[in-house]
Amino acid sequence: MANITIDGKQVTVKDGITIIEAIDQVKTELPRYCYHPGLSIAGNCRICQVEVEKMPRTVIACNTRVAEGMVIHTQSAKAKESQQVVLEFLLANHPLDCPVCDQAGECKLQDYYMDYGLYDSKFNEQKVKKTKKAVSIGPTIMLDQERCILCSRCVRFGDEITKTHDFGIFNRGDHAELNIYPGQELNNKYSGNVADICPVGALTDKDFRFKMRVWYLGSQESVCPGCSRGCNIKVEYEKSRPYHLKNERVMRLKPRENMDVNKWWMCDEGRYAYKSIDQNRIQKLISKENGVSSEISWQKALEKIAGLLKNAKPSSWAVLASPQYTNEELHLKKKLFKDQLKWTHIAFYAPGQEGSEDNFLIKKDKNPNSAGAAQILNLNGAADMTPVIEKAKRGELEGLIIFGHDLEKIYGAETLKLIRQKVKTIIYEGTNNNPTSAVADMVLPGVSYAEKEGTFTNFEGRVQRIRKAVEPIPGTLPTWDFLLNLSGLLGLSYKALRPEHIFEDLAKDNQAFQDLNYKKIGHQGMVWNKK
Amino acid sequence: MATKLMKRQELSFWDRTYLPSIGLGLWITSRHFFYNLMIHALHTVGLFKHIRGSVTYQYPEEQRPLSKRLRSRHRLTKREDGAPRCVACMMCETVCPARCINIVAKENPDPNIEKMPASFDLDLGMCVFCGFCVEVCPEDAIRMDTHILDIAAYSREGMKLDMQKLLNPTTSPSDPNRN
Amino acid sequence: MLFDFIIKAILAAFFLGGVLNLAGLLTWVERKQSAVMQDRIGANRARIEFKSWFLAPINWVLAPLNALGLFHSLADAAKMFLKEDFMPKGADKFLHTAAPVISVVFALLAFSAIPFGNVLYLKNHAINLQIADINAGILFVFAMMSLGVYGVILAGFASNSNYAYLGGMRAASQMLSYEITMGISIMGIVLHYGTMNLQDIVRHQSTHWGFMVQPLAFLLFMTAALAETKRVPFDLPEGESEVIGYFVEYSGMKFGMFFLTDLVETVLVACLVTTFFFGGWQVPFLAPDGFHMPWGAFYLVPSKLIAVLGILSFMFKVAFFNWLFMAIRWTLPRFRYDQLMHLGWKILFPLSLLNTLITSIIVVLRK
Repeated sequence: MANITIDGKQVTVKDGITIIEAIDQVKTELPRYCYHPGLSIAGNCRICQVEVEKMPRTVIACNTRVAEGMVIHTQSAKAKESQQVVLEFLLANHPLDCPVCDQAGECKLQDYYMDYGLYDSKFNEQKVKKTKKAVSIGPTIMLDQERCILCSRCVRFGDEITKTHDFGIFNRGDHAELNIYPGQELNNKYSGNVADICPVGALTDKDFRFKMRVWYLGSQESVCPGCSRGCNIKVEYEKSRPYHLKNERVMRLKPRENMDVNKWWMCDEGRYAYKSIDQNRIQKLISKENGVSSEISWQKALEKIAGLLKNAKPSSWAVLASPQYTNEELHLKKKLFKDQLKWTHIAFYAPGQEGSEDNFLIKKDKNPNSAGAAQILNLNGAADMTPVIEKAKRGELEGLIIFGHDLEKIYGAETLKLIRQKVKTIIYEGTNNNPTSAVADMVLPGVSYAEKEGTFTNFEGRVQRIRKAVEPIPGTLPTWDFLLNLSGLLGLSYKALRPEHIFEDLAKDNQAFQDLNYKKIGHQGMVWNKK
Repeated sequence: MATKLMKRQELSFWDRTYLPSIGLGLWITSRHFFYNLMIHALHTVGLFKHIRGSVTYQYPEEQRPLSKRLRSRHRLTKREDGAPRCVACMMCETVCPARCINIVAKENPDPNIEKMPASFDLDLGMCVFCGFCVEVCPEDAIRMDTHILDIAAYSREGMKLDMQKLLNPTTSPSDPNRN
Repeated sequence: MLFDFIIKAILAAFFLGGVLNLAGLLTWVERKQSAVMQDRIGANRARIEFKSWFLAPINWVLAPLNALGLFHSLADAAKMFLKEDFMPKGADKFLHTAAPVISVVFALLAFSAIPFGNVLYLKNHAINLQIADINAGILFVFAMMSLGVYGVILAGFASNSNYAYLGGMRAASQMLSYEITMGISIMGIVLHYGTMNLQDIVRHQSTHWGFMVQPLAFLLFMTAALAETKRVPFDLPEGESEVIGYFVEYSGMKFGMFFLTDLVETVLVACLVTTFFFGGWQVPFLAPDGFHMPWGAFYLVPSKLIAVLGILSFMFKVAFFNWLFMAIRWTLPRFRYDQLMHLGWKILFPLSLLNTLITSIIVVLRK
């Protein structure tokens, strides 16, 4: 352990860490471009200058290790001047592109110029023009060499994280420029991250390009529903300019730091999967009666479903729950269908839906809450939907409640057609239109993960919260709300107002969730108690 | 806060009768009255036309000279090829206190310009003519120097300007096709 | 008898027509005079024009009137007549309608005692140019002006509105307060000339006009009379920026009548000031036979011309005072209500008493 002083504050830190790590531990502001905690240390941007007493010159904090008795100043006149001079050099060839640059507003050059720069321009020289401006270098990323300050974060990301070695810095001195290797394109499963780590606007996201200025965005913490990894994300949505992009509310997803799950990264598959929140949504509650479909109110629909379920024989109805739903919703399904109505045909696992997997973040199970569903519904190995489907095909089922599953995608159009013929009543609850919702007798519009509160349990049993970023589309109802209302009509006196209350009940009910609550789960999630 | 006691000025006897002040007031107003009356009378016989008898303007027939700095209806400036100078940076939209500007951006085929507005809508019914948009524009793309003041429409929709109208402001109020 | 009756009718029609036209014209004067005083041009957009070419000569005649904006008075009248006659809910229908009529009728009646010329001799008939030769004319005029208060109070009372009521009460107390000063200040004149007959008072002023012998009374009377007209700077009953006055619930021509009353009263006050203090129909140096100049010259003037000159003189003086009142109205700001009462009761009233006292002493001593 080393005792050091940072800006007059005495701290004890681990031996062998760098000054910038120590500074981050005491949460002091220090500018940095090339330094990233997830990447190796390059020390080439030189902006993180600090003054260390008894050293003749200022040193860079990212590549100097702490030593016993070190006295470090980050805000002294000497340190500030060094930072300012470095910034001036970094900006020497940087174009005045801010009006057209998507990074503006979250650009570290802008931020640090306002914090540390504020010098008058001394340059008479022409800026050195780089060759590539606004060039697409892959399916997700645009490159602008002029804006690059050669921090080499993206180079190291390709070398160390994805091992794809996409980027390199070519030429020397003033003419050094960032580029991908000739004849290649940036096309890997984590390419979107380079836009996140680029401190300036050199690498920008094609998908977000010119969609909206970043200062119009609101941000809400959430969890990616793309696979069972449960990467921590930020849902960034428009908060004040609804006319910008009509009917598009969620603008982009950004990874959120969680050292136990995804560190600083997320995959492209999850990053660009947000479009289903605003596209192809089920917005109307449709009920088909004698072949005529009409829009009805939630109240009427609930009464109708309650009437059907009250008279249903427990063995002649089936419910297909889904691991796409939150723990709270699955708990309500269990309470209602398994405990109250004593139905025997309950399943959630859709076979044959695994996707690709790698040994970094992507899991082959593309459901965010498979572990939670298995634990909560507790089906003892009978989670697979196939037996239920077989029964339905044989015409042994009277009614089928489907949550979110598209049967055509899983079992094929023929099966869906057969089921439609054999099963009298099909109730579909979900967020997006699909072939199954098209044939259902009753379609209940649900809300997406960005519009509701809840928790997901990832593959290792980490319970993590999703939060409401945008208001539900008018006419839609969160599944937990719908299930609560339905339970009330079916005589299950269940007192809850918010998903938080349902989770409290779940914690009492289920061993794995014992002692957990929303406060404990917090921002970074918590692993459940299952041994 | 320090309190400063102000002593009220004592009024003299004549002040208290108000008569001198009333007389003075009447003197001033009457002087204006008779002077202006004389000017108007001389105007009717065609003399001293260069001296104005009133400070007001007979508006539709007589236009008031406008200051160069006057903030009037907006326009978007053009590049040499006629395209808007605007790069859709949305500074004006951000700074606008009335939120009357709506811009949608798109890609400019020229990589050195990169960005351009797909649509630029300005609602004059909401605009407060503060001129912040002009002040904040980094490209000198929006100006308020058209000297168009008689902005009126029969509907709220009519008060909205799109990019075409902003790029081509008609300056003559008598032009029936002006927007 | 019938002849006298016809003569009186003609006189009444002549005078009443003159007064009403003048009052109507005052709306134009008010606009234009204020405009010219304030370096503006004033209302000039109401115009009458004929399209057809054969009416072009009429257009030629109308053009200067159009330019002067004279037809704004006509437009006003047309507007007043065409507007909805609104009666607030719960208002007393009869009194609500009667109030403006009372106001305007009593204001007009007061004119009947005012002499607008000397005796005109026409074929052995001596026609006194005065509608009603009342020997206590002053009392009659004051009685009529006092009755005008009823119109105001009733308007406030019958409107079923607190604001109108407040305005009515303000108007009543203001008018009553200033009427006292007005009445007492005129006592000086009465004592000095020893008569209440207005024609006699005017005749007494052949050499020295009233304001020369009673300067203080003139100031007091004029101030009080201005207050009586309820116009700026004494427009508290109207108080446009606050209570909006006793006629807040009036519209259309009923409102127009109140408006007219204000202007008629202005004319009336101008007539009274002329009669009491500026020699009425007297022309300087003009005796019943001709001009007697102070340097001894004498010009013979026919008697009929003298009568006409008298009428013209009276009209000129009335016009001048109307102009002066307008100028005051557009020069001075409005009083505060306590200032108004302070001025009325603590300054004007004692001063008018003092004036009466001193005049009495002088009158007694001279005897």
